[in-house]
Parts: sequence; structure tokens; C-alpha cells
Amino acid sequence: MNTRHPSPALLLFVGVLGLSACPTLYAADAPAYVPVAAQSSLSFSGTQQGERFTGVFRDFDARIAYAPDQLPGSHIDVTIRLKSLDSKSQDRDSALAGADWFDFAKFPTATFHAATIRISSAGPVGDADLTIKGKTKRISFPFTWKNDSGKNVLDARVTLDRLDFGVGAGEWADESVAGRKVDVVVHLVLASAPAAAAPAATAGKPAAAPAAAPKH
Amino acid sequence: MATATTVPGRWGGLSRLFHWGMLGLFLVIVPLGLYMADLPLSKQKLKLYALHKSIGLTLLALAALRLLWRSTQRRPSLPPMPAWQERAASATHVALYALMFLVPLAGWLFNSAAGFPLQWFGQVNLPALVDANPALKSLAREAHELGAWTLVAFVALHAAAALKHHFIDRDRTLALMTPGVKAPGTGVDP
Repeated sequence: MNTRHPSPALLLFVGVLGLSACPTLYAADAPAYVPVAAQSSLSFSGTQQGERFTGVFRDFDARIAYAPDQLPGSHIDVTIRLKSLDSKSQDRDSALAGADWFDFAKFPTATFHAATIRISSAGPVGDADLTIKGKTKRISFPFTWKNDSGKNVLDARVTLDRLDFGVGAGEWADESVAGRKVDVVVHLVLASAPAAAAPAATAGKPAAAPAAAPKH
Repeated sequence: MATATTVPGRWGGLSRLFHWGMLGLFLVIVPLGLYMADLPLSKQKLKLYALHKSIGLTLLALAALRLLWRSTQRRPSLPPMPAWQERAASATHVALYALMFLVPLAGWLFNSAAGFPLQWFGQVNLPALVDANPALKSLAREAHELGAWTLVAFVALHAAAALKHHFIDRDRTLALMTPGVKAPGTGVDP
């Protein structure tokens, strides 16, 4: 045998080096999508005085870049405008707006950024930073990704502890009025993001330096 | 009403228990309702509301049981009095019974239209009568408040009439329902 052949390990090393040096593969975003507002929903359900109630946030922006074979370029970014909350009770809505709960005046939005998406045995999982009321918590965001009559559909359900975010603090912290666990249900029917949206726009600007290659 | 169902004597023990027990709860629930409504939002406020609703549901259930029980009982005959007084007493009783149902039901409707949970002493949750509905909520709230004040007025009229019969007419009307009260002048039970 010719011992001058490079070892497989070296080949791999060089290959990885080459891949990482190639910006189009490394930094490219997966295909980007935005939700179709009329068909998408961001809802939650909690318990109050022994009864389950559901609410929705009607006003939110989401941008999802995802392809199972382009995980490094996949990410999910959501901004929720909290005052669009509707829990089918004016009294409850106005209570939730107050300082003890979401404190809309100080924290008008909540954000969700999953910069990393991996594939677990159960399917895709985002490792996301969820920020509510100024408090950020890393959460695991398992979701399903289906194609339904030509549209991609993302569905997810996560359970949050409202006290992780100081929602319902102080005298409301115990569960005598409201339970701590809140189920959040995400249903996004997706359309391709318009070409003019963030990454494309950034890339299209002549001044955009390669270093600013879109991660978001 | 068929007079055949009236008898001399007084109301039975269970009837009197319904009467005075419900009055006792009424004397708690009305001031509670007036006090709690203007409180700023707090857990204490929600707990007072929950207590008000629990007592209200209890009164609604007692009203139904009381009406059922009343239908099985023979009513004691009233002492002789002018016909207008008998008619007024009868009309007042109809109004009292109607309001015993209408006021808590309007409260339940108000609570349902407001989209709020309804729990009986933290034990059992009751279903909403309607879906959340802001317009109906204000209407039901008005009905609940107006009904409650009307009930207070009829209770006061009823009590005033009973006291008038006892202290002015000196007949046995009050003694029919009141434990420990004897008909004036006779020193004996009616």
C-alpha cells in the first residue's frame, strides 16, 4: 500500500475546514417563512379558581427559517405584542395587563428566539430564549413541521411556569387564584417570507459587508 | 291559593329554619356585595367575590329546596285582617320568592357573561350560563343590582309588616314564623 495517501482523519479535517470556509453553506439561512395571520394562532391556557381558560395573543410577528437539512441556518424569531391579549374576559384581561401580571406599560412585548434547532428522536427541537416581562429563560421548544396542502405548518405546545417570568408575582404567586402552569399552543400556517424581508433586504444592500451575512 | 291547605298553628321547624337561615345569609351577602364591588383589584377582592358567589349559589339552592318543601306543607292561617293586607302579604310573598331566584340567577348570568369562573366554596365549578358577552354582562349586572335592591325593599316591607302586626295590631302573624315569640296578649303559641 502507498503510505503516502492522506489518512481518512486528515481528509475529514480538511473537508470540515473547507466546509466552514465556504460562507454560502455555513451562513446560508434555511428557507424563511412568515405566518399567514388569518390561519395562525398563538394561544395559551391556564387555570383560574378551578377553571381552565384560554387566551390568545392576536398580534405577533414571527419569522421562521427552517429546513431539516439546513439546521445551522435554521432559527425561529417571534415578537408578541402583549396588549393584543384576549382571554374572553375583560376583567381578567385588564388584570393581566397590570404590574403584578404582564405589566404591559413597562414590558409591551415578549420575544422568543430559537437560534439553534436540532433534531431529537421525537422531531425538531428549538433551544429558545423566551423573554417575558424582562426575564429571559432558556426553554426547549419541540415542534412538528408538516406540509399541509402546499403550506408548511408548525405546531408546538410548551408548558411554562408563570413564576419563571414573574407573571402573577407577589400575592398572586401561590396558586389559590391562578395556577402556575400555563400551556402555550402555537399553530403557524406558513408562507414563504417576502423577498424584501430582513435577510434578503440585508443581502441586497450594496453596503452590506460579508461579515454582516445574515444570521437572522 | 287553596285555603284547604292552611291550618291553625305555626310554620314547622324546617320552614322556620329555611326562613331565618336564608335571612342570615342575606344579611351577609348584601353588605359583602356592596363592599367588594369598589375594591381595587387584589387577591382579597377575588376571594370576597368568590365568597359572595358561593353564598349566592347556596341561597339559590336553598330557595329551590324551600319552595319544594313549602309545596308539601300546609300553611298556617293568617289571623283576621283587612282583605287588602292579605292581598298585599300574598303579593309580597310572590315577589320575595321570585327575587330569591332571579337575583342569584342574574348574578350567575353576570358572572358568565363576564367570562369569570364560578366555584362553590372552592369545591365545585359550575358551568357558565352563556359565553362571554360584554353587552349582556352590563345588562345582567344591572339586573342583579336592581333585583338585589328590590329584594332588600321587599324584605324590609315584609319585616315591617310582620312587626306592625305584632306590636300594633297585636296579632299572631310574627309568631307564626318566629321561634320564641308568642302571640301578644295571649301568652301562648298561636
